[in-house]
Amino acid sequence: MKSRRTRRRFALNTAATVFCLVWIFPVYWMVNTAFKPYGDILRPTPGFLPIPLSLGNFTDALGKPMFGDYLRNSLIVTGTAVIASSLLALFAAVALTRFRFFGRRTFLITVLAIQMVPTPALVIPIFLTLKGANLLNTLLGLALTYIGFVLPFTIWTLRGFLHGIPVELEEAAMVDGAGRLTVLRRILLPLIAPGLIASSVFAFITAWNDYVFAYVEMKDQGHYTLPVWLVSFSTSTGVDYGGLIAGSTLFALPVIVFFLLIQRRLVEGMTSGAVKD
Amino acid sequence: MPPSETGARRVRRVRASRTPYLLLAPAALVLGVIYGYPLVRLLGISMQDYGLRALFTGSSPWIWFANYEHVFTGGQFVPVLIRTFVFCVALVAGTLLIGMFVALMLGSLGRRMRGAVTLCLICAWAVPNVAATLVWQWLFEPGYGVVNWLLSRLGVFGDLTNRQWFASAFSAFVVVWLLVVWQSVPFVALTLRAGLSQIPRSYYETAALAGAGAWTMFRLVTLQFLRPILLLVGILSVVWDFNVFNQIWILTQGGPDGGTTTLGIWSFTQAFSSESFGQGAAVAVVSVALLLLLTAAYVRRLISAGEEW
Repeated sequence: MKSRRTRRRFALNTAATVFCLVWIFPVYWMVNTAFKPYGDILRPTPGFLPIPLSLGNFTDALGKPMFGDYLRNSLIVTGTAVIASSLLALFAAVALTRFRFFGRRTFLITVLAIQMVPTPALVIPIFLTLKGANLLNTLLGLALTYIGFVLPFTIWTLRGFLHGIPVELEEAAMVDGAGRLTVLRRILLPLIAPGLIASSVFAFITAWNDYVFAYVEMKDQGHYTLPVWLVSFSTSTGVDYGGLIAGSTLFALPVIVFFLLIQRRLVEGMTSGAVKD
Repeated sequence: MPPSETGARRVRRVRASRTPYLLLAPAALVLGVIYGYPLVRLLGISMQDYGLRALFTGSSPWIWFANYEHVFTGGQFVPVLIRTFVFCVALVAGTLLIGMFVALMLGSLGRRMRGAVTLCLICAWAVPNVAATLVWQWLFEPGYGVVNWLLSRLGVFGDLTNRQWFASAFSAFVVVWLLVVWQSVPFVALTLRAGLSQIPRSYYETAALAGAGAWTMFRLVTLQFLRPILLLVGILSVVWDFNVFNQIWILTQGGPDGGTTTLGIWSFTQAFSSESFGQGAAVAVVSVALLLLLTAAYVRRLISAGEEW
């Protein structure tokens, strides 16, 4: 009996180890490649440790012409999307949870159903619509696209958080003479801060990672965001894999850090939505 | 009651009933601009002769179903459709099976090992789509790719050092499959894990007392309890995997010879490479309709759940 259990334990741990090795390998290889000296990358026998450690690929990537522009574009578009979507979603969520009004349920169902619409199918009409509005090739147009894409999720998340806060809390404050704005600022905001953080992280990741819409909307190289630049870098003849992979690592870094920071909440928030609805 | 007081009360009520609409308006406006109007426009463009000329002159004559006719009778539609479905099914099956396996495994691991697996999952999950795709291109690079090297060392498949993975549609799909599954398993595994942890232990104890074997227990307790979460995860996987775009586009651009062209890629190349926005839109409409069919049951459930909100 005991030997069977230890054998089972051994098999389980072996399976888990194999899984870990396979799943982490691409990330490990990305970091490994990024830190290798330039001459060691294209070797018939790959080196499994970046010895000697070199930052050459990073300075190479950072030193590409206009890298600063791409980074700035990505930051502007992402930042706008995060701030605007949080604000709009907060207003909407307050309306949806604190008021009863005609059309409330329709709006909620629309918000849910809209997430079923495949965004790639919207590339063509959004491209033509922004073209008509002279917003093609502008950071504003791209930011607007991202705000739209993250809104359904942010509204849904914040609605869930607000739903869990008893209305009596606000009523008590209003009885004490606080206005609606004060209630929002002093009572609701601190309570839904975790929800705001979760939805902001989601908005950040969506906007930061998008490729198709930025690729289609931004025709001038000066308006490229980081992912568009990385891909254009990879299709140029004689790919410089050192610089490309170092660039990808830098690009991936903030997202990985965010994921690890909200790790616990990630699983929690995701499932609270999944289990309840 | 003096009339002035009822007047004041009425004013307050009117204002209170306008507040929610004011709060909702900005979000509704953006959703209308980014989802509503484009969806209607998509349907419109799919029935117009919208090509390069329309881009410059702004005139796009209505040709009704000519774009659809062209799409359906061009001889490309059936292979693209089959390819899209088979690839989607392969992705969903792979993701759910591996995800389920990992979720079950996580439950019986020790604390340290569980932490290691979770960390690997989150790292894989967090790598942005584009970065992961570029890393994949490097892993499978003919001549210097580490996967080619490792497989050659294994000796089972012969010398694969200079293997051009993207030269054949099948091997290109295998590489993209690995990439998409690698990225989607974390979400599925962690969601299912959270679901599994909510199954009361007593259910298993009762089943064990009744003499149920491991497989019966899995079927009757685990699967039954997990059903709603499995459904949710399954639907989301179908939606995501049906729409895989970046990975295919960056790695193969639909090639070789259109061998990896799925509905999404086809719609995109029709519009942005052949400058035939009308036909691209027609393909997009068809794919939205197909996806709607696939997920209709779930959407219906959403709407009926909406009755309670």
